[in-house]
Amino acid sequence: MSEPIITTEKLNLWYGDSLALKDVSIQVENRLVTALIGPSGCGKSTLVRCFNRMNDLVDCCRIHGSVRYHGKDIYGTGSDPVEIRRRIGMVFQKPNPFPKSIYENVAYGPRVHGIKDSSKLDAIVERSLRNAALWDEVKDRLNESAMGLSGGQQQRLCIARTLAVEPEVILMDEPCSALDPIATAKIESLIDELKRNYCVIIVTHNMQQASRVSDYTGFMYLGEMIEFGETGRIFESPDQELTENYITGRFG
Amino acid sequence: MTDKFHHELVVVKDEVLAMAYMAEGMLRDSVAALRTGDRALAASVKERKSALTGRNDTLEEELYHLIALYHPVARDMRMIACSLKVIGSSERIGRYGKDIASVVLETEDNNRLPDIVSALSIPHMADLVLSMINDALKAYDGEDIAYITRHSERDDTVDLLRHTIFREGLSYMMEDPRTISRCTNLLMVARYLERCADHSCKIAEKVIYMVTGERIEIR
Repeated sequence: MSEPIITTEKLNLWYGDSLALKDVSIQVENRLVTALIGPSGCGKSTLVRCFNRMNDLVDCCRIHGSVRYHGKDIYGTGSDPVEIRRRIGMVFQKPNPFPKSIYENVAYGPRVHGIKDSSKLDAIVERSLRNAALWDEVKDRLNESAMGLSGGQQQRLCIARTLAVEPEVILMDEPCSALDPIATAKIESLIDELKRNYCVIIVTHNMQQASRVSDYTGFMYLGEMIEFGETGRIFESPDQELTENYITGRFG
Repeated sequence: MTDKFHHELVVVKDEVLAMAYMAEGMLRDSVAALRTGDRALAASVKERKSALTGRNDTLEEELYHLIALYHPVARDMRMIACSLKVIGSSERIGRYGKDIASVVLETEDNNRLPDIVSALSIPHMADLVLSMINDALKAYDGEDIAYITRHSERDDTVDLLRHTIFREGLSYMMEDPRTISRCTNLLMVARYLERCADHSCKIAEKVIYMVTGERIEIR
């Protein structure tokens, strides 16, 4: 493994008295796709939300241990959550475009970060939509409402919106669960393209999706990282019986 | 859905075993026919060959369906990979049984065959090979590699026996040229038996993969 981009060490997280993550220690490599799988409530979404401090918004949440991004503790003093969320973007389960035009959805982030020049914004919008494999489908209707796009297009728009602020890591929490198989295939192809330039971490319930798109897979159960390793090995011959029982459908 | 899949896996495994024991039976009966010169038994082995091929084709199709429909992973995938090897190797073992039966049927002075068969240690070699096949199938059935831990040494013994039989056969042929036709046929039988031992090793390799996930080569 080359230098990891995100590292967690003995990460524990509580929601009130309930322990949601238990001693999670993993290393995520750049320009690869890492999938997190496990049954509902195992902590996989909670874990990715730690990577860009989304859990800060939950009142009763406490964290022990460390999450390092390029070696710096993102929960350390002087760490800026806004900057972290710019560098570590997130795409959610349900496409959530703003009720604005396609153009404005993508331009929103760069504007918030201070870019006013319209030609610069035009270039960012085009580049982001191209990188999200959406440009050809929307280039003639950039000023139409994003709400008129199909579910799959809306999700790719959300990815374009994430890309517009030039992140390094893209977190995806069940990005295809609300999409049909064709739209899912497009997102999966896009993930494969994105890993050339970004680190992608995807949470998925769909184990075939994890095996198709990821280079590394982590299996979580009851808040613990039971096994983390190369996807081919995990799906051919995992080390842990718990992993094997889960991926072969014997529980979960 | 996964319960249905796992039930189908159990059913198909039983069918794979039934096919493998059918092939083992063909080899066993062909060797018995060779030992006794029993032409009727040899003919019945030949008759079973098309049914064996049919079972192989059906099972291969069933296993491919399981892959296409359920996308198996981990131990389920390894079990299917192993089962494909078991049916492929079993079909070859059964066909060697048919080839040995053909030797019985095609050798002209067939009632003199048993003497030379015994003299050439073919029964001993056949017993070793059949026990290797049986143990590989027991290991597959019980997912227990204890049965096949010595397969490599046993295969070495079988290879050695083939060389011994070759040398013995040569001596007989030099001593009495009238035995040339019978002996050359029997040298082919020794070769078929040696190949059957190799197939049992191939099955054993895949059983180890099925049980442990490790790919090893049994030499």
